[in-house]
Amino acid sequence: MSIVDTPVPVAPAAPARATARLLRSELRLVFGRVRNLVLLAGLAAVPLLIGTVLFVTQSTPVAGQGPPFLDRVTGNGVFLVFAALVSCLPFLLPLCVAIVSGDAIAGEASTGTLRYLLVVPVPRTRLLLAKAVAALAFAGAAVVAIAVVGLAAGAAYFGVGDVVLLSGDTIPLAAGMLRTLGVVGYVIASLTGLVAVGLFLSTLTEVPVAAMASTVVVAIVSGVLDALPQLSAIHPGLLTHHWLDFGEFLRLEVDASTLLAGLAVQGAWVAIFGALAWSRFTTADVSS
Amino acid sequence: MTAGGPAAEPAVRTRGLTKRFRSGQVAVDHIDLVVPRGAVYGFLGPNGSGKTTTIRMLLGLVSPTAGSVELLGSSMPGGGPVVLPRVGALVEGPAFHPYLSARANLERLDAVDATASPQSRPGRIDAALERVGLTAAAAKKYRQYSLGMKQRLGLAAALLRPRDLLLLDEPTNGLDPQGTREVRALVRELADGGATVLVSSHLLSEIEQVCSHVGIMSRGELLAQGTRAEIAETGTTEVRVMTRPDQRAHVARVLTGLGLEDVRVDGEVVAAPLGGTAVEKVAQAVVGDGVDLLGLEVRRPTLEDVFVRLTGEGFDVDR
Amino acid sequence: MAPTGTVRVPSDVVLSLVSGTLGHSGPMDTTRSLSPRVRWAVPAVAAGAVAAAFLVPAAVGAVASDDLPAVTADELVDRVANAEKVPVSGTVVYTARLGLPDVTVSELQGAGPLDLLGGSTTMRVWSDGEDASRAALLGDVSEYSVVRSGPEAWTYSSADDEAVHYVVDPADLERYEALADEAAEPSVEGDVPTPSEAADLALAQARIYTDITTTDPVEVAGRSAYQVELRPQTDGTLVDRIRVAVDAETSVVLRTQVWSVQDTEDPALEVGFTDVSFDAPDPSVFDFSPPAGAEVREVEVPLPEPGTMEKPGSEALGEDAGFAVSGTGWETVVEVSDVDVEEILGATAEGRLPEGSTGSSGADDLLEEFTDAEEGELPGIPELDTQALYDQLTTPVDGGRLLTSALLSVLVTDDGRVLAGAVPPATLEELAG
Repeated sequence: MSIVDTPVPVAPAAPARATARLLRSELRLVFGRVRNLVLLAGLAAVPLLIGTVLFVTQSTPVAGQGPPFLDRVTGNGVFLVFAALVSCLPFLLPLCVAIVSGDAIAGEASTGTLRYLLVVPVPRTRLLLAKAVAALAFAGAAVVAIAVVGLAAGAAYFGVGDVVLLSGDTIPLAAGMLRTLGVVGYVIASLTGLVAVGLFLSTLTEVPVAAMASTVVVAIVSGVLDALPQLSAIHPGLLTHHWLDFGEFLRLEVDASTLLAGLAVQGAWVAIFGALAWSRFTTADVSS
Repeated sequence: MTAGGPAAEPAVRTRGLTKRFRSGQVAVDHIDLVVPRGAVYGFLGPNGSGKTTTIRMLLGLVSPTAGSVELLGSSMPGGGPVVLPRVGALVEGPAFHPYLSARANLERLDAVDATASPQSRPGRIDAALERVGLTAAAAKKYRQYSLGMKQRLGLAAALLRPRDLLLLDEPTNGLDPQGTREVRALVRELADGGATVLVSSHLLSEIEQVCSHVGIMSRGELLAQGTRAEIAETGTTEVRVMTRPDQRAHVARVLTGLGLEDVRVDGEVVAAPLGGTAVEKVAQAVVGDGVDLLGLEVRRPTLEDVFVRLTGEGFDVDR
Repeated sequence: MAPTGTVRVPSDVVLSLVSGTLGHSGPMDTTRSLSPRVRWAVPAVAAGAVAAAFLVPAAVGAVASDDLPAVTADELVDRVANAEKVPVSGTVVYTARLGLPDVTVSELQGAGPLDLLGGSTTMRVWSDGEDASRAALLGDVSEYSVVRSGPEAWTYSSADDEAVHYVVDPADLERYEALADEAAEPSVEGDVPTPSEAADLALAQARIYTDITTTDPVEVAGRSAYQVELRPQTDGTLVDRIRVAVDAETSVVLRTQVWSVQDTEDPALEVGFTDVSFDAPDPSVFDFSPPAGAEVREVEVPLPEPGTMEKPGSEALGEDAGFAVSGTGWETVVEVSDVDVEEILGATAEGRLPEGSTGSSGADDLLEEFTDAEEGELPGIPELDTQALYDQLTTPVDGGRLLTSALLSVLVTDDGRVLAGAVPPATLEELAG
C-alpha cells in the first residue's frame, strides 16, 4: 500500500462547514464525558431535592422560610424553577461553568491532545471559538436541566397555576411560562462572562484543575465584592452583579433596559476576557 | 510526487532556526536543517539535545526566536493550513483522550480536519489501525492501552491520511524489539511509497538501518548533517596492524615514522588514523622493518563512531 | 475594565483580526503572521472600547443642554407649582448618603421602605396624572409596591407575601369625594418618595428664608431640564442647598438633590428619574388585587381634619395637644411629647410567632432554645429586630437618645418627648433643656 498513490486533497472545507464539524466534535467530547454528565445530573437533582424537602415539610412551622421564591413553591410548582435557579446561581452554576471552561484548553494541554489538534491542523482561533461555544452550551444545558426538572418536579409535587409576580399581580400560566423561558435565557446569557474568564484562565496553564479552581474563585470573589457596600461604585461592572436581574421577568412590566444593562456587562467581560484568551492562545508556545 | 513538489525543493528546510526559552536557555541554536524529498532522515541526538523543540517549531507549535522554517515548500507557521494536512506527526509521544476508545480518538482527530473527507473516514481509520496492528484493540479505551499500544496508536493517527512528509519523534519509544522492527519496516514502506520521513531518536541503533540521511544534534546545535556516507566519511579511516605482543611497540614506532599521528596500542592491535597515507606503504614499511605481520586491516569509519565522537558516550542527557 | 493607555493598531491588522476571529475566511497566514505584540494589543483595545462604551454615555449625559430659552428662578418655581398634572412613568433612582449606620436589610428581607435609609434604591413609578399612582421599590428578586387608586391604596411586599389595604374611613368618604380635586390622599405607611414629592416639600419652603437662583440647564433621563437652586439663608440648618431639575417641556420635576452642610460635594439625598415617559400608563397598572394566598391586612385611614392639611414643617401647623413647633423656616423643630418608645418598639416586634404553632408549647420552647431566636421570633432567616435597629441608629446622649444624619436630627428624651428637625443636634438638645 503506497501512500502517495492518492493525491492529498488540500482544498479545505468551507470555513463555516469546518467550524460546524469542529463544534460538533467538541460538543460530543463535552457531553460524552462521564464526569460532565454526572455534573449535569447533580445540578438537575437540585430542584428535585428542594421540591422533595418542601413537599415533606410543607405543613410544619419551618415551611415558608428560606431564600426568595421558596415560600411560593408549595402554592405553585412553577416557582420551583426560580427557587432552584436562585439556589444554584451563587455556587453550583459557576462551578459547572468553571469545570467545563477551565478544562477547555488546559485539559487538552494536560493530556497532550492539544498539540495533535493543532497539527491536524485546527486553526487556534477556530479551536478557541469552538471550545467557548461548547462550554457555553454545557452551561446552558445545566440551566435548562434545572428548569425542566424544576418544572416537572414542581408540577408533580404541587401542581402549577397562574403565576404571581413580584409586584403581587397575577398573570395566566401561559404568560408565566413565557416569562420562565425569559428567565432561563437570561440566566444562560449571564454565564457568558464567566465562560470567557474560565477560557482565558484555561489558556494560562496546563493544569486544568488550577484553571477550574481559579474560575470558581473569580465568581465567588465577585459575589463577595458585590456584597460590600463600600465598593458600590464598582458593583454595576461586577461579573455577578446582574445575575439576579432575571427577577425582572417577574415584575409587572419587564424593563428591557435593565436586562440589557446586565447583558451589556456580560458582553464587556466577554469582549475583554475573550480577547485576552485569544491573544494568549494564539501567541503561546504549545510545549505540553 | 505530489503536484508542485519538485525534488529540488527540500521537504524540510530551516534557516538559522533558534529557540531561546523565557528562562534564557537556548534549546535550539541556529540550525539549518535540510531534509531532501524522499529521504529517510535520522534525526539523532541525546535526550534534551533540542530535537523535540525543533520538531515543534517545524510544526508551528512553538514559535522560533529567530530563523525560518519551510515545510514542503511552504513557510511555517503561516503555511500551516495548506501544508499540515500533508504532514503526519508524532510529537513527544502519543497523546489521546484516555476515556475514549482508540477508534473514537481517531474519529475525533479526523473530524476536526477541515480537509479530510467524512465519507472515507471509517475506511481510513480501519486502514490506519490495521497498519499498526491495533485492529483487535480498536474498541478499547485508550486508558487501558500499554505503552507500546499507545505508541502504535500515535503512528496510526499520523497515518490517517496519505502524507507527503512524516515527522516521527522517537517512534520506537516504549516498543519491544519486535515493535521496533515493525516501525522500521513501516518507515521503509512509507519511504518506498515516496514519502519523506524524519525520524528522531536518541539511539542510533534503532534507526540506523533505515536512514538515508542523518542529522546529529547536541546541546541545541546541529553538528553534522548529510547522507549516511557523507557523515561516515567525516570519521577517520584507521589502519590496524596485528602482530606478536613483543613487536607491538616496534610497529608503533614504524607507523610514527611513516608520519601517522595518534598511534596507539589497542588491545592486540596497533591502530592509527590512516590520514593521507596509502595502506600499501604501511604494509611495506612494517614488513620491510622485519615485523611478523599477522594481519592488517583498514577500518572505514562507521556512523556510530561519528555519533559517539560528536555526542559522547553513555547515558548523559544533554541538559 | 480600567481604561488602558493609548494603543495604536494599524487598520489592516484590525481587519485581518476580524476575518480571523469571526469569519475564519482568511488563511492562517494572516492571523499567525501577526506579531505577538499586535495580538496583545487586541485585549487592550477591547478594554478601551468597553471603557468607552460604558463611560462615554455617562459623561455625555452630564453635559448641559444649553439651547433652552432662559427663565428666571421665580418663573420656574411658578411653573412647577402650577404645572398641569401629566401622566408620568419611569425609573427613579433614590440615593441617600445620610451618614446613618448601615442597616441594609433587603438582602435578607427583600425590598422594603427601610432600604431608603441608606444606599441606592431603584423604583419604578407610574402615575396617571390624576388620582392613581403606583411605585415599586425594586430589590434583587423582590419588590415592595405601593398602588394608589382614588380613595384606596395597597401596599404589597413580595418578600413576606403580605398585602395591606388602606381605605378612607367610610365616615370620611363623602368628604373625600368633595376634596378629591385637592389631591387629598390616604397616608400610606412606608410611602416612597418621588422626585416631585421631594421637590414639593422644598418648594413649600421656597419663597421665604431662601435664596432662589437658576443654574445651568442639565439633561436628566435624556430630557432637557431647567435647574433651580435653593439655598437657606440661615446657617442654623443642616441643609446646604437643594437643586431641582424641572423638565423644560412638561415642568415635571425630574430630579431633586439635597446637599448637607457636612458634605457640599455629593448630595446627601438624591432622587431622580433615570428613565421617564409621559405616555399614559396602562390603566391595569393601577388595578391591584392581592394574589391568592397572600396575607391581607385592612387599614382604615381617617381623613385629616381640614386644619391639618398642610405639610408638617410649615408654620400653619396648629399646636395640638402634645405637638409643638418651634423655630421658623429651615430651623423648624417639631416636638411631640408623651411618646412611649419602648411600647412602639415592642408592638412592632410582637406577634410574629403565634403561641403554639408547632402544636405543643414544649416544642415551641425547644425550637426557640435551639435557634437562639428572641422570644416571638421565627428561626431561620433573621427577622428585622426593631429594638436592635433603634439601638443601632441612635446614640445615647445626656437625657435621651439621639439620631443624627446628614440632613435630619431626632432626639428622643427619656421623659418621652421626640424632637426632630433639619438642624444640628445641639439645637435639639438645647430645646429639650
